[in-house]
Amino acid sequence: MSEPTPVVLVVDDEVQIRRFLRTGFELNGFSVQEASTGTEAIRTSTLRPIDLVIVDLGLPDMDGAEVVERIRSWSTVPIIVLSVRSSEAEKVHLLELGADDYVVKPFGMAELLARVRVALRRQSRAASGEPAVKVGPLTIDLAARAVTLNGTRLTLTPKEYRLLQVLAQHAGNVVTHQHLLKEVWGSIHVHDTHYLRIFVRKLRQKIEPNPDSPRILITELGVGYRLAQPGEIESGAWASEAEPAKPSA
Amino acid sequence: MQTAIIRQRARQELRGVVYATLLVAATTLVIFGIIEWVGLTRGSVVYLVPVVIAAVRWGQIPALVAAALGVVAAAFFFYPPAYSFEINDPEEVLNLILYVFCAIVVGQLASRLKYQYELSRQREIDLADLYAFSRRLAVAFDVSGIHAAIEDHLATVMQRRVLLFASGHDAGERRGAGAAPDAVLQKVSEFSASRSETAAETAVSGGNGELWLVRAVSPKNPDYGVIAINLGRASKEGYAALRSRLDTVLADATATLERLGVAHAISEARMRAQTDRLREALIGSVSHELRTPLASILGAATVLAAAPALQNDARLKDLAQGMRDEAERLNNDIQNLLDATRISSDGVKPHIEWADPADILHAAVDRCRRRLAQRSLALDLPQDLPLIRVDPILVQQALVQVLDNAVKYSPSGSEIAVKVRAQDGKMTFTVSDKGAGLTQAEQARMWDRFVRGERHVGTTSGSGLGLWIASAFVAANGGSIAAHSAGPGRGATISIDLPVTQAAVPQLESEADE
Repeated sequence: MSEPTPVVLVVDDEVQIRRFLRTGFELNGFSVQEASTGTEAIRTSTLRPIDLVIVDLGLPDMDGAEVVERIRSWSTVPIIVLSVRSSEAEKVHLLELGADDYVVKPFGMAELLARVRVALRRQSRAASGEPAVKVGPLTIDLAARAVTLNGTRLTLTPKEYRLLQVLAQHAGNVVTHQHLLKEVWGSIHVHDTHYLRIFVRKLRQKIEPNPDSPRILITELGVGYRLAQPGEIESGAWASEAEPAKPSA
Repeated sequence: MQTAIIRQRARQELRGVVYATLLVAATTLVIFGIIEWVGLTRGSVVYLVPVVIAAVRWGQIPALVAAALGVVAAAFFFYPPAYSFEINDPEEVLNLILYVFCAIVVGQLASRLKYQYELSRQREIDLADLYAFSRRLAVAFDVSGIHAAIEDHLATVMQRRVLLFASGHDAGERRGAGAAPDAVLQKVSEFSASRSETAAETAVSGGNGELWLVRAVSPKNPDYGVIAINLGRASKEGYAALRSRLDTVLADATATLERLGVAHAISEARMRAQTDRLREALIGSVSHELRTPLASILGAATVLAAAPALQNDARLKDLAQGMRDEAERLNNDIQNLLDATRISSDGVKPHIEWADPADILHAAVDRCRRRLAQRSLALDLPQDLPLIRVDPILVQQALVQVLDNAVKYSPSGSEIAVKVRAQDGKMTFTVSDKGAGLTQAEQARMWDRFVRGERHVGTTSGSGLGLWIASAFVAANGGSIAAHSAGPGRGATISIDLPVTQAAVPQLESEADE
């Protein structure tokens, strides 16, 4: 990350949550703005330069989803949602409203930081027009439409490439089933999850060094798929303590 | 409606009379034959046969017709002089009189037999109705279920369109659905409003000439609600007949309702609904109130554990990590309680989709990664497993519970083997540990709620909910869960069976990729 100090806007009505997030972010080289209501969050995000927004869903004055929608209506700033409501349908809804990612409360700082870095990197890649996405041994050159594994060029069918392309455009972030199905097969197939299952399997056979235990194309159960974060594989982040506590209810 | 029934009955009688006439004619031919071949002189006794048949098959009137025709035919054809109604011999006259007497008695007996047979059949049907009704009442979980059962029962017994309203509000709701004319619903609302008065009944014209009758099911017990019955286009007499029948049916129904303790069941269901609401509200707030501070504790602990200031002091770092672990455990316990309440209060509603069993297993193992760190995990996952139609989240959570259980009751460093197989139309996940195993008694009780192995109460923590939740989640996906163990200390294997839909993924290869 080349920017001086990225600014994170933390929107949560719980003082204690804001407090640990502030400390956690500051210790990791971020600077923090706080807001305790949705109105305040929207005002702050228009007045100050913000690099990333973290929104709690249970705000006193408006639903967090509304905050996401309002900010997204004029800004492309990455938004990560904090949720205790962990129903998968809710997550899908938020992602479709324009949230970049979600973290289920309670969560560890390491997990949140990982998501934040992915979102920021994606933002800077979009800004710089960088055409290649590297995930461990896999490189996806979006400009040349070329995919290489350990330097060897892979032959993908058009649909397989399209699937990988959509995931690479959101590298590190979850892409919902509906979004993938719409982008790859068209809107009449948004409920044909089995298409995705089969093609993900085929794609994994080609792009995963060990298809039996996928490390590059990751399943987010009940929500969608995610390409591992660029750099995630070498850094050994797998063994890190990023295990979320039990997510869904 | 009433006139239609009369007309139908008349048509039936007429048909019986026609058949009886034909039967007598056939008998006459037969008697001619007998006289020709055997030389019998008088055939009158043979005419008893059509009388009996007519009585049994078609009832009294056709039987009498058959008897009369028999006399006429015998007099005309067989008593000398033939082909005239005159009878010369007084002995023959006596004979004929005896025949008429016999025919009438036999006809009476036979038709009474028929009547009793029909009566007992009707009783059988009534009993079956009543039995079905009481069974429905027994399984009805809430007030509306009970009311629906009463409504259907009355409709069956009355053979009319019957609507039952639990309250005036109910009538308002049905207005939108167009269940009955507005005038009728209006009356029902008035009836419900004036519950205490024992207003007997009112007839309301429902437009298009149909007549509706509105009355309380029971004047004594307003809980049974108000009914509206479509009497159709009845004449005055038909209307009176229907009303007296309705009185009997309702008296019967109320007696039945009283005997089955329906009033009690209704008030109990009301109470249960209230407790459920209260419990849900309580759980909602407990979940929020407990989890919000827990999120702060857990988050702060992870910040502390990674803080540069603590990196040089292993003891402090350990403390911070301990905080995090305990907060996570607490969170899991709260989650289990929430899951358990969800299962028992409104059941589990799975979101079924096509899922890859390998994905589910990986997600479950990932979720338990830290807990599994002290065990050696052996994954046996064949390629090309069929996709299954399940709620992947629920199955994953069931697997997490089973894995968690295996970790809890097996020694550090031991092996936990996870295997997935597709065979016999089933997808089977098995988790085997080399731990404490199960006694016979434990195997019998391990799927019950809040049951914990007595041998382990002192040494392992837990709520006794995990496996119960797992079995409920698996059942919600149409699967089953089972445990095997060679005995205490010899490890345990828990297997989850899920159905594999045979109608697998349709023509994907050809159309999905160009």
